[in-house]
Amino acid sequence: MSTDEVESTFFQRTSKWKLIILLLILALIITVVVSLNVGNAPIPFPDILGILGKQIPFLDRIIDFSSILPANEAIILEVRLPRIIAGILIGAALAAAGVLYQGIFKNPMADSYVLGVSAGAAVGASAAILAGAGFVFFELRLIQVAAFVGALSAMFLVYNLARVGSRVPVTTLLLCGIAVNFFFFAVVGVLQIIAGDQLPDIVFWLMGGYSNVLWRDIWAILPFIVIGIVIAFFYVRDLNLLAMGEETAHHLGLNVERSKQILLVVASLLTAAAVSVCGLIGFVGLMIPHLTRLVIGPDHRILLPTSAVIGAIFLVLCDDLTRVLFAPFATMSTRELPVGLITMLFGAPFFIFLLKKKKQGYSA
Amino acid sequence: MNTKYLIATVVVIVLIASAAFIYIYYQGQAPDEGLEALQSLVDDHGYTTSLTAYPEKIISVAPSCTEILFAIGAGDKVVAVTNYCNYPYDFVAWIAEGNMTSVGDFTAPNLEVITALDPDLILASGGVQTDSVDNLRERGYKVLVLDPTSVDGILKNIELVGNATGNRDEATALVNDLTSRINAVGETVANATKPEVYYEVYYEITSSWTIGALAWQTELIEKAGGTNVFGDQQMDYYQYQTEALIVRNPDVIVLPAEGMGTGTQAGTDAVKARPGWDTTNAVQNDRIYQIDSDIIERAGPRVVDAIEQLAEFFHPELF
Repeated sequence: MSTDEVESTFFQRTSKWKLIILLLILALIITVVVSLNVGNAPIPFPDILGILGKQIPFLDRIIDFSSILPANEAIILEVRLPRIIAGILIGAALAAAGVLYQGIFKNPMADSYVLGVSAGAAVGASAAILAGAGFVFFELRLIQVAAFVGALSAMFLVYNLARVGSRVPVTTLLLCGIAVNFFFFAVVGVLQIIAGDQLPDIVFWLMGGYSNVLWRDIWAILPFIVIGIVIAFFYVRDLNLLAMGEETAHHLGLNVERSKQILLVVASLLTAAAVSVCGLIGFVGLMIPHLTRLVIGPDHRILLPTSAVIGAIFLVLCDDLTRVLFAPFATMSTRELPVGLITMLFGAPFFIFLLKKKKQGYSA
Repeated sequence: MNTKYLIATVVVIVLIASAAFIYIYYQGQAPDEGLEALQSLVDDHGYTTSLTAYPEKIISVAPSCTEILFAIGAGDKVVAVTNYCNYPYDFVAWIAEGNMTSVGDFTAPNLEVITALDPDLILASGGVQTDSVDNLRERGYKVLVLDPTSVDGILKNIELVGNATGNRDEATALVNDLTSRINAVGETVANATKPEVYYEVYYEITSSWTIGALAWQTELIEKAGGTNVFGDQQMDYYQYQTEALIVRNPDVIVLPAEGMGTGTQAGTDAVKARPGWDTTNAVQNDRIYQIDSDIIERAGPRVVDAIEQLAEFFHPELF
């Protein structure tokens, strides 16, 4: 193959990637528009456009928005839109973290649970609930700060436990992570037993959900998630090298330990930011990267951004489903299901369908 | 003559003996009616319990059961209660002082405590306790499950416990008193406009929970002259969409003072600050009320206190 050919295939591939990203962003926008229309309150689409238009300065001098009901405006701007934005951020963060974990560990089962990160967040959140979640810390609820700190502390604990000299072998890291995960969830179990009246708080937190998310929760996690994904994007080549094995990566000039360290911190930061708002939402971090890999391929340069966008679309759609599933039944039309249940209930069969369809089998 | 006296004496003795026999017979017979009732105590889960004698040692594994037992004067038979029982006495203090035994937490009654006390009767509630009840029955304990679905069901349970403990007169008197109090509220609010009421079970970032038509708290709201804003929903406790509340626009919001959990979202000010809730009539007219969760969540005699309290919230001009 001549240099020209290499360059032309590279450009073909990157332009194909650009197209994929563009299509996915388009799909995300369509998802957002559709989601704005989904919910118990019947709000006509022109009104939704009006409510959004009203937010643009000076536009209200040209167009008359007075026919819009204040209740509908509140529903779109204070209930549905925060849910959608939170879904995008959390879905993207969990899926991106999943790509990083699976890449670092070269293990298809790796997710935020294996490092004990989720369990650490759960211990932090449960302890905060017992201590009195009413405490507000710089506009953030104690439970969110505690979940965030818990997740990161768990990661540092596991990392240092697994360290052998200057190296952190992946197998040791996995095993330490799993042991710490079980230990922390046992601690959560004990906290649940002694929780008494606060037991529902812990149970609902563990089930996951962000139905009543506030804008201020979103502003709190936004920087972590955006910065996390951007940093991760600078290290996707390292992930591609790690995929060839640590030895090979080392001989190709990669500072393996340093890359692993940075990627672990980034992945845990993303997870911590997400779970600090929504509690534990399963499946997204584990399955979305696999799902994307089945469709797009294993190159992390494209896998990371596409997984993030697909994770965002997936979680927003799941959250829509929680609002429409019971809509046809008049006597249950206001019911909502926890979004964490929907991600598993619909995500798992869809994933199995894709897996079976891809007949040549699966390779990470 | 002697024979006459002898016959007379014998007749008198026979008469006295028969009178005494009849007296003693009826003395024994009188509680027998009650003992017959003891043969077939049917509880809320349709399970029939038979007792051969009035229980001397009763364990209550739910606060609502404890309240019923003490309200009908069977409190002296109660040998153990849960850590959550706090009415009509501060049982936590009793337990600390050694005057009462704790049977543990509500969800998991301590089997060793129960075995050691060897109770004649255990009163339990439904829901999370169902597994424990099955287990206790398999071990041969007599268990009555009080799991009513209506105010009538609560009143029937008071009579059931009266039958089981032999305090039938007290139970009947209590039920009559409660019924007349409910009727009095009903008459007062009969012609008033019914406000739409939102009753909160739980609200946090993760989810919002309320009651539908099947929860008996909806009946309390109706008896107090209100309408449950989610009363058309055929569910008991359920997770609802917050936007549905904004659409349905309640006139009154009722918060249990100590609801499930203790987040930042509870409390009158927090409710007003919730996104979109400021558009509801309840927030705009400042009609958010807190009610003692114990009286409105426990299926005991104090539900009538709850009805009276709710009626005052809904119709302040009438009280």
